[in-house]
Order: sequence, then C-alpha cells, then structure tokens
Amino acid sequence: MLSTTRLTEVCMQLLPLNNNPRKADSSPLFSVTHQSESEANVTDDELVFRQLFAQDAKQGCALLFRRYYTNLVNHAVRFVYSKEVAEDLVAEVFTNFWQDRLFEQITTSYRAYLYKAVRYRAYNYLRWELHKSDSLESANDQSMPASLQPDQVLHYSELHQKIESVIQNLPPQCQRAFLLSRIEGKKYAEIAQEMQISTSAVEKLLIRALSKLRQELKAEWFITVILWLSISASYVCI
Amino acid sequence: MNPSLTKKVIFDFFDGKATAIQRKYVEAWLADEANQETYYQYLDEWESQRPQYPVDAEKALASFQSVLDNSERVDTPVKTLKTIRPGWAFNWRGWSIAASILLVALLGGFLFRSKLLYKSYETAYGQTATYRLSDGTSVILNANSTLRVPRFGFGNNTREVFLEGEGEFNVTHTINHQRFVVRTADNFQVEVLGTEFVVYARERGKRVFLNKGKVKLELPQGQQLYMKPGNVVTVANSGKYQLTQAAPARPYTAWKDHWFYFDNTTLTEVAAQIRERFGVNVVVVDAALAQRRIAGNFKAEKVDDLLQILSELLDLNIVKTHQRIELRTPNYLN
Repeated sequence: MLSTTRLTEVCMQLLPLNNNPRKADSSPLFSVTHQSESEANVTDDELVFRQLFAQDAKQGCALLFRRYYTNLVNHAVRFVYSKEVAEDLVAEVFTNFWQDRLFEQITTSYRAYLYKAVRYRAYNYLRWELHKSDSLESANDQSMPASLQPDQVLHYSELHQKIESVIQNLPPQCQRAFLLSRIEGKKYAEIAQEMQISTSAVEKLLIRALSKLRQELKAEWFITVILWLSISASYVCI
Repeated sequence: MNPSLTKKVIFDFFDGKATAIQRKYVEAWLADEANQETYYQYLDEWESQRPQYPVDAEKALASFQSVLDNSERVDTPVKTLKTIRPGWAFNWRGWSIAASILLVALLGGFLFRSKLLYKSYETAYGQTATYRLSDGTSVILNANSTLRVPRFGFGNNTREVFLEGEGEFNVTHTINHQRFVVRTADNFQVEVLGTEFVVYARERGKRVFLNKGKVKLELPQGQQLYMKPGNVVTVANSGKYQLTQAAPARPYTAWKDHWFYFDNTTLTEVAAQIRERFGVNVVVVDAALAQRRIAGNFKAEKVDDLLQILSELLDLNIVKTHQRIELRTPNYLN
C-alpha cells in the first residue's frame, strides 16, 4: 500500500483541477483490478479514494472536491440555472460530507453519493424557487432517500432537459436577460445597459422567464411529487 | 447488450436523444444497483465533456479547505442519510407514537409561537388608541384594529410589525438605518426608514397614504412600488392597485379625532365605514338611497351621533332591529 503523501502526490498529478473539456474520452483515471467481490460495484478511481479516506479523511475530502467539484457544479447549474446557487449548493454538499462524516456511512461510491446529493438539493431548490410558499428550510432539507427507483434516476435527467428546452424556447430578449442575470451573475443595471433597455424592462423580462418556467414545469412537478410520495409510502408498507 | 453500446445509449439519453424504447432499456438496466454506479460514472464523464461555463474551482477549493481546517467537529451528531434497517419495520408502531407526540409538540409550539414572541395591541369598536413602540415609533390605531409587535424588542434586523385594521405610523429613523416594515394579510407590506403614513388593511382591501418621506410597498404579486408624499395607493382584493398622485391628508387621517370625512361619498360606503369602526351592521334597504352621496366632516364618537346627523341631513328613517340598523326613506315600503 502506498503511503499517504505518496498517494496524494499521485492523485495531484493525475487529477488536474479543471477537467479538460476537449478530452475525447475521459477514461477512468486509475485502473485498479478488483481485489474482492464485495467491492465489485466500486470501480476505477473510487478505490484509490477509499484507500485515501481510510488513511486521511481530510486529504481525501480535498481531493474528492478537486476531482468532482467542476463537474458537479456543471450538473447542478442545469437545474437551478444560476451559477451562484449551483456553486453554493455543491459546496454545501461537500461541507456536510465532511462535517457530518458521511463518508463513513455511505454504501455506494463517493461519486454516486455526490451526484445524488447534488441532484436532490438542486431539485429541492428549484421546487422552492418556483413555489415560494414552501419555506426555504424545505429547500435545505437534508434527508435524502437512500436509494432511488430507476424511474426517479431517469426523471432527473428529463427534468433538466425540459428546463433546457423551456429556456431555449424563450423569446430572444427574454432569454438573453435571463442568462445574463443567472449565468453571468450581472446586476439589473448592468443588463439594462448591455441590452439598451430600462431596468424595469429587465425586471419584466426576468419575471416573464420565471413564470414561463413555472408554467411549463407544472406537469413535471406533478409527476415528481407523485414519485416522492410513492417511495415514502413504500417505506411504511415494508 | 454489450457495454459500449450501453454507454452510447446512456449518453444519448443524457443528451435527450434517446427513444422511448431506449429509455425503457435504460430503466431496466438501472434496476441492478451495480449499474446505478456505472450510471453515475457515465454521468460524470458526460458532464466533463459538456462544460456549461468556466467554473472557478480554485477559489472554491480554497474556501472548502478552510472548512476542512477550521471545523474538526468529529463529535457532531450525524444528521443525515439514515439507512433503513430491517428492524425498523417491526417497530413502526413505536415510531408512529413518537412521531405523533413530536407532531403535537411542534404544532403546539407553532400555534403559541406568535403569542410568545409577539405582543398585541387591540382597539375595540369606536375606540382609538396611541402607542409608543420601543424604538420611539408612535402608532395611532383606529377602531377595530390589531397591531402585533415583537415582545422582546426589535433586535438588530428589520423592525417588523403586523397590522390588521387601520393605523397611522410615525416611524423614528434609527442611527443604523434599520428598516421598518408593516406587514398585513395577503403578502402586502409597507417598508420605510423613517416617515409618517397611514395604513388601512381590512376585509375590503388595502390602502396606504403617505404624509412625509418615502415608503416602498410590496404588493401581493411580488411587485414593488415607491410612494412620494401625498400619494395614496389603494389595493383591491383582486390585487389591482391604483396610485393617486396628490391627495389631501384629511380624508385619511380624520379618524384620529373621531371624525368622519365624506366627500361625494355614497351611503353604501358610509355604511361600510360604520361597520368597520363601530361594528354595527348598517343596511341601506332602498337601492336609490344607497346611491345618494354626501359630503362634509362629521364628528362622531358613538354610532348614534353619526346616524342622527345622517337622518337629519338626508331625511331618513332609522329602524333599529335586533341585529341591524336599517336606513330607509320615509315613504319606502317593503
């Protein structure tokens, strides 16, 4: 077994902080042959992370962050459509992971856990944003279902595709204002200047974009809420 | 199906290009837990090939590093990701009892929370009252109104009070520019730093009259409105609002000294105002009479004072029945 420092060095070399997007095929960074059947579902670099966590959890968290942060933010932003929210949300997932020592409990790979947690939080945030009547606490609700039905797993992807298509179909001005505000994080006044319109017009465009999203996603919520209810019901009926 | 084909189908699915049959296939494939692992591995690969915007990971890592360094809270109780153990199911009765107790406790706390945290000032029908709040703000409440203020002072954040009915606020500007917010039902709120204004918030609608300074209104639909001195904003229950530029203060502040201010006001409206201020159900029986208008200032500390004035002015008969007071013209027959 490698020593901690040596292992860290290896990881540092092999894990560039910004994943190179043009890389045609980001094959697993490590290829480790499976040593036992019990770990059959834990593949590639996950095993290295496991070893690292066993030796130094703090170092492990830092490297896990290095490896997945960019991709997770990329994923979260598809749902919440705000770079700030996406970044905060992913940072929170990692903070909990460390502070509550979740890495000691999870039975899946770290990667699966992180993606599931980010999706779950992003979904809750979106639900809160579109139905402000729920309290913000429910958006930060941490209790995540331990396992998901295949249909639920797929539904997340379909949800962000739906959001993407709603945004693609916004009127051009409306779309531009929305993206400037949410992805580039510009203030109303800056957007107004860039688009040569008044700030109140910017506000109107943003309200229109949100209400369009709300309207289009109504059907989606319905399905998702039903799914959530059905799994909580299945817990009770065990 | 072989692995490379699976990967292609799943990538297509992420892109939103999969057919319904392919979706079914992916769903069946995911039923195996081990495949869910592969699914997230593919998702991560897919994401790394489709960056949405340049993420500043270096900065984020620096702040995460400080979280790692500062909080060695190893003894933190574990809050999340409770796995369901098999034994759990057999003990569901115990859990449900615990849950009910918890629910009752939470509900009780929730119901009494406002009682505990807020102090209520109430005025009866026909009575007005002046209060001075802990920050120096003075409030005059009209009849049949309730004002709730935090029992233990305003703290360092926004000064928030809740109003049902009508009141005039003379808000003191604090050194640290704390905002003062008057909330009413239906998400309507008035926000100020220091100024004089009258808020009306009853069943029939909402109205704000600004005497001095500047206020910001938050309307129920999330719209915001800034008012200048002399402005009146009236909000109907339908959510429609109307801003009047320059209005005299008198109609909106007359109630402070038990005055009624009528200016081309229909008798129906007069009856509604009597109901609000005296809690007496006044009904105008005759439709033509209901449309008659009156003007003038009338002082009335009791409902009878005003009714007497009305009967003399309009030559009415006032019939008091068990539950209500009817206004009718002398020759009107049922």
